[in-house]
Amino acid sequence: MPDAPEAKNAGESPNANAAHAYGAAKHPPPDSWENILTRRLVLFSFWAVILFLGLPIWWKTTTIYRAPLPLHQMQDWADGKVCRLTFPLRIAVEAPSLPSQEAQHLLRTTQHALDDLNDFSAHHLRLLLSERPQSGQPGLDQSTENLTVDGLQPKEDIALFIRLFPGESGTTPRADLHPYSPTLDIFYSSNQIPSSSSTVSPLATFIATELQAIFNEEQAALSYLLSSTSWHPSHTKLMSPELAETLSRRKTRSFKYAPTYHLTFSLFTPTAVPSDWEIEAALDEYMSPLLESLSSISNFTVDTQTQFYAGFSPSISGPEYNEEKQAWVLQKSDLGGFINAAEWPLSPSIGAGPTINFILYVPSEHQTPLLVADNGGSSWLIPQWGGVQILNINGADGSSVPGVLTKDDLRPAMQTFSYQLLSLLGLPQSPNSLPLRISTLTRVHSASLIFSASSTLGALARLTETLPSISIPKKVAQSVQQTTKHLQQACTSLREGRFHAALENARIAEAEAEHAFFEPSMVGQVYFPDEHKVAVYLPLLGTVSVPLVMAVVKEYRSYREARKRAS
Amino acid sequence: MFLLLILALTALCAAASEYHERLLLRPLPQNALLASFNFRSNSSQQSFDQQNFRYFPRSLGQILQHAHTKELHLRFSLGRWDAEVWGARPWHGAREGGNGVELWAWVEAESDDEANARWSTLTNALSGLFCASLNFIDSTRTIRPVMSFEPEGTHANASLQLLHGTLPHEVVCTENLTPFVKLLPCKGKAGISSLLDGHKLFDASWQAMAIDIRPVCENGECVLEIEQTVDMVLDLDRSKRPRADNPIPRPLPTEDLECDTSKPYHAEDSCYPLDKGTEPGWSLEQVFGRAIKGSCPLSTEWWGDEMMAGGKTVCINVDPERTVDVRSAKPYGEVKEGHMRCYQLPDGTDFDLELHEEVIPPIPLDQPPLHAARAITGYGQERGGVESVFTNPSLTETLEIVYLESLPWYMKPYIHTLKARLSPAAALDPIKETYYRPASDRHRGTHLELLLTIPPASTLTLSYDFEKAILRYTEYPPDPNRGFDVAAAVVRLVSGGRPEYLRTTTLLLPLPTPDFSMPYNVIILTSTVMALGFGSIFNLLVRRLVAADEVPPTPLVLALARVRGRVGAALRGLLRKGKKE
Repeated sequence: MPDAPEAKNAGESPNANAAHAYGAAKHPPPDSWENILTRRLVLFSFWAVILFLGLPIWWKTTTIYRAPLPLHQMQDWADGKVCRLTFPLRIAVEAPSLPSQEAQHLLRTTQHALDDLNDFSAHHLRLLLSERPQSGQPGLDQSTENLTVDGLQPKEDIALFIRLFPGESGTTPRADLHPYSPTLDIFYSSNQIPSSSSTVSPLATFIATELQAIFNEEQAALSYLLSSTSWHPSHTKLMSPELAETLSRRKTRSFKYAPTYHLTFSLFTPTAVPSDWEIEAALDEYMSPLLESLSSISNFTVDTQTQFYAGFSPSISGPEYNEEKQAWVLQKSDLGGFINAAEWPLSPSIGAGPTINFILYVPSEHQTPLLVADNGGSSWLIPQWGGVQILNINGADGSSVPGVLTKDDLRPAMQTFSYQLLSLLGLPQSPNSLPLRISTLTRVHSASLIFSASSTLGALARLTETLPSISIPKKVAQSVQQTTKHLQQACTSLREGRFHAALENARIAEAEAEHAFFEPSMVGQVYFPDEHKVAVYLPLLGTVSVPLVMAVVKEYRSYREARKRAS
Repeated sequence: MFLLLILALTALCAAASEYHERLLLRPLPQNALLASFNFRSNSSQQSFDQQNFRYFPRSLGQILQHAHTKELHLRFSLGRWDAEVWGARPWHGAREGGNGVELWAWVEAESDDEANARWSTLTNALSGLFCASLNFIDSTRTIRPVMSFEPEGTHANASLQLLHGTLPHEVVCTENLTPFVKLLPCKGKAGISSLLDGHKLFDASWQAMAIDIRPVCENGECVLEIEQTVDMVLDLDRSKRPRADNPIPRPLPTEDLECDTSKPYHAEDSCYPLDKGTEPGWSLEQVFGRAIKGSCPLSTEWWGDEMMAGGKTVCINVDPERTVDVRSAKPYGEVKEGHMRCYQLPDGTDFDLELHEEVIPPIPLDQPPLHAARAITGYGQERGGVESVFTNPSLTETLEIVYLESLPWYMKPYIHTLKARLSPAAALDPIKETYYRPASDRHRGTHLELLLTIPPASTLTLSYDFEKAILRYTEYPPDPNRGFDVAAAVVRLVSGGRPEYLRTTTLLLPLPTPDFSMPYNVIILTSTVMALGFGSIFNLLVRRLVAADEVPPTPLVLALARVRGRVGAALRGLLRKGKKE
C-alpha cells in the first residue's frame, strides 16, 4: 500500500473525524436580508449586462450579412413554373391580286391546314393578312417599309412575308424562298383559289406544307432545347435519335451566346513566306456583309495578325508524304493538336466576350500540298474555339509560295471561314434564307438565355440554402431582382412574338444572374476554423465565465437551503 | 481602277510595316562581352487602329488600345553595370531600368481617376502577358514624374498623362524572356534572336530587356514603332562552360584554375587570377550555346547607319588587327571600318564568329559622363539615412542632372534634412529645383525629383534622413527579415542633346519586424490580465466575508474528510488486529 504512511499520519491526526469536527465548528452569523438582496442584485446586474448587452453586440458584430432573397421565386424559375415558353410566329400574307374576301378565306383554310400539321404547340405559326398599297413584282425584293400588318407590330417581328402571285408560267403552285430576305413568293393559278364554300384547297395545303418545311428545323431545335432542360412541357415532340444527335452536335460545337464576339484572323506559316496578305480588302469584301447581317443579334470586332516560323507542336506526329495522293497528309488524330497552343500567340482578345479564332495555315513549300488524310479536305472546325483552313497555294510561276497573298487567293479561305462562323454561332442549316436562319437563332438564343438565367437563379437559391455561413451582399439581392424582372419581360415578349425585345431582356437577365452568382465578395468566404475560435474566445470568456457561473450556482444552493430550512 | 487602288494600298502597307534587327558584340575588359540585341518593327497607325497586325504583336497592340496607352516603356533588368570597368552604358542608359521591373507610359485620359483606372488596366494586362507581377504596381508604387522623362514619340494630343511604376523586388527570369521572344516576328527561329536563350541571358553579369513603343510621325504620316532591346554582359569564362557536363554552374576544380603564382600569398588555398595580358578567344557557339540560324528574311535594312547598309545585322567591335573567323556554309557580306566590323547573315544556314586568344590592345571604351552611387546609412529600427554620391569626371563641363526618387510609403524622408554638399566646396547651391510630393500612408509613395548641378571634377553628396514606419500585421511579405526593396533612383543627364540615363542600385531597407505569433500571445496575455481583474472585483462584490473558523465546509472538503476518515478507520482496524496477534 503506497499511501499507507500518509494514511497513518491521517489516522494519528487530531481531526480524524473531520466531518464531525466541522459539523461541530462555528457557523457564521446568519446573513442579513439586505446583504443577500445586494448580492443577488449584483449577480443579476452582471448577468443582465451579459445577456442584454454583451450577447446582442456579439451577435451583431459576428453575424454574416445575408440579404433576403426570394428563394421560392428563384426555385420556381429554375423549375420552369413561372413562365411557359411559347413562340408565336407572325407570318404576313400579301395577296395583291386577290380580292380581300377570297384572301381572307384562303388565309383561314391555310391556318386550319397549318394547325393540323403542327404537333409542337409551343411553336405555332399565325397568318396575318397584310394590306399593301401597291403590288410588288415576283422575284423583286421590295422594301417592306410601308407595310402595315394589323396592329402596330414592328416590321422585324414578322417572321416571314408570303407574297401570292398569280402564276404566268411553269408549274403551279410553286414556292420561291428569297435567300437574302425573309420573303416567300407563292405562284398559283386562278383555279387553285379555294371557293368560299370549300374548307380544303390544294393551294392552302401547299402553303401550309411549305411553311411547315421551312420552320421544321427551328421547331426541332426549340423542342430539343426544351427537352434538355427541366422545363418539360407535357407535349414535347418526340424526335428521331439522328435528329437529336445532329442537334446535340450543333449545340456542343457552337459558342454560348454573347453580345460581343471577337474574331481573330491569323495567318500562320512555318517559314517567312507569305509575309503579307491583303486581309483588309478580303475582309471588306467577304466578311463585312455577313457580319452586318448578323449584327442584329451580336456585335463583332475583327482583328488580324500574321505569324511566321510557326512550328507544329511536338505532341503530334506531323504530316507524312503520301505517294498515292501526291500530297502531304495529316492524320485525323493530329488535327486536335494541330494548334500549337504553347507557341502560337492566340491569346483571347481583351474585353468582354469570347474570341473566335480563324487560322489560315500556309504550309512550307516542301510540304505543299498538305491535306487531311481521310477525306483529302483542307479545313476543319474546332468546337467552341474556331476554324482552321490550310491554304495550299503556289505562286504565279507555279513553283513557290507567293510573298503576298492577294484578295483572290484569300477568297476560298474566307468562304470557309464564313461557313465556319455560321456553324460556330449555331445557325441552323435550313431554310435556305439567311434572314430566316438568323431570326431562328434569335428565338433559340432567347430561349436558351432564359433557361440559363433561370438555372443560375436556381443554383444561387440552392447555394444560399446549403451554405448558411456564406454572406449575401445587397448587390446580389438587387441583381436577383433585376434578373427576375427581365426574365418576366423576356417571357412576356416571347409570348407576344416580340423576339428582339425578348432577346434583349433575356441577355440582361443572363448577365445579371451571372453577376449575382459570381459576386466576388460572396465567393471569398471568410473561413475561421473552430480551433481558431476557441483560441480567441477561451482565454477571456472561459476565465470570466467560471466565477460568474459558480456564483449563480452557489446563490441558488443557498436559496434552496434557506427555503428548506424555512419549511 | 480598283486594282490600282489595291496596289497602291499594298505599296503603302509594305512601306509602313517594317522590321529590322541588329546585334552588336563588344568585348569588354576582364573577360566580359557585351551583346546588345535590338529589334524594331512598326505598323501604320491606320492598320493599328483597325487591328490588322503584321509585325507589331497583336497581344501587345490590343493591350495598348484597351488601356488607351500612347507610349509605353517596359524594362526588366538584373545586375549592375560596372561603369568603372565597362565604360559608358549601351544606348546611353536609355534602354535599361532599375533592378527588377520598371514601367512608364503615357496614357490618354481626361482626369486623374481615369488615368489611374487605365494604368491599372495596363499593368494587369501586361502582367498576364509577360508573366511578371506587374499587377502589384498599385497607387503606392506609382508616381507621375515631372522632369525625368520626356516622350520619345510625337504626340498631338495634349491630354496625356505620364505614369511611372517600379517593382524592385521582382526577380527577372526565363518566364519573362519567353513572351518577350514570342513578340518578335522571327520568334528566335531565325536571325539574331536565335541566340536568345534564358540560360545564358539570366546567367549574365548584367542584363536588361526593354520594350519601347512610340508613335513616330513624319510628314503627317504616323507609324507606331516597337523597339525591343536585350543587352547583356556575359562573363566569357562562365558562359563557355559547356552545359552538357555541367548543368548546375559550379566553380572550376582547383587544379584547373589559372593562378598568378608570383604573388607572395599564392598557396594551395588562395589563388590570384592570372592576368595573361591577352584578349580571350571565344565563338558565338561557345558563348551562346548555338550559332545564329541564318538571317531573318523579314528584316529589312537598318536605316541611319552606313555600316549597316545592305542588310548587315551583326556587328562586332574589335581591334582592326584582330582576326575574326567566320563559319558559314553560304556566302555572307562583310564590311570593316575602324574598330567595327559588320556582317550580313546568310539565308537559311548557320553563321558563327570565332575569335582566338591573342595579344592585342583592348578596344578603347567611352567613359561614362557621370558616376552615381547610393547607400543607406544609419542604424537601428527607427531611423536611417540615404546618401547618394555623384561624381562628375569631366574636367571642363558642368553637368546638370535630374534625380528622381520613388520611395515606398513606409520610408518617410525628412525633407528638412536634405543636404547637398559639393567637394571641392563651391559657393553655388547645387539644388536648382525641387519637386516633392509627400507620401500618404498606404495610398502613395514619396516622389522626390531634384534638378542638380555638378561643377567639373567635383563630387556632389546628397543626403537625407528618413523614418521607418511600422507596418500592419498583414502587410508584411512572407520574408520580412530579408528587408524591403527600395527602387533604384533614376538620374537623367540634361546637358546632352539626346536623353542619357543612369540608374543607381536598389536598396534593401530593414524594417522593424514583429514576431508573427504575436496576436495570439497578445490575446492570451490581455485575456488573463482582464480575467484576473474581473475575477477579484466580482468576488469582492458577491462573496460574503466571514471569519476563518466560520467558513462552512465546501462539499469537496467534506468528501475529502470522509474519505480520510474511512481510510484512517480501516488502518486503525488493521493496526489493532496486528497488535492483538
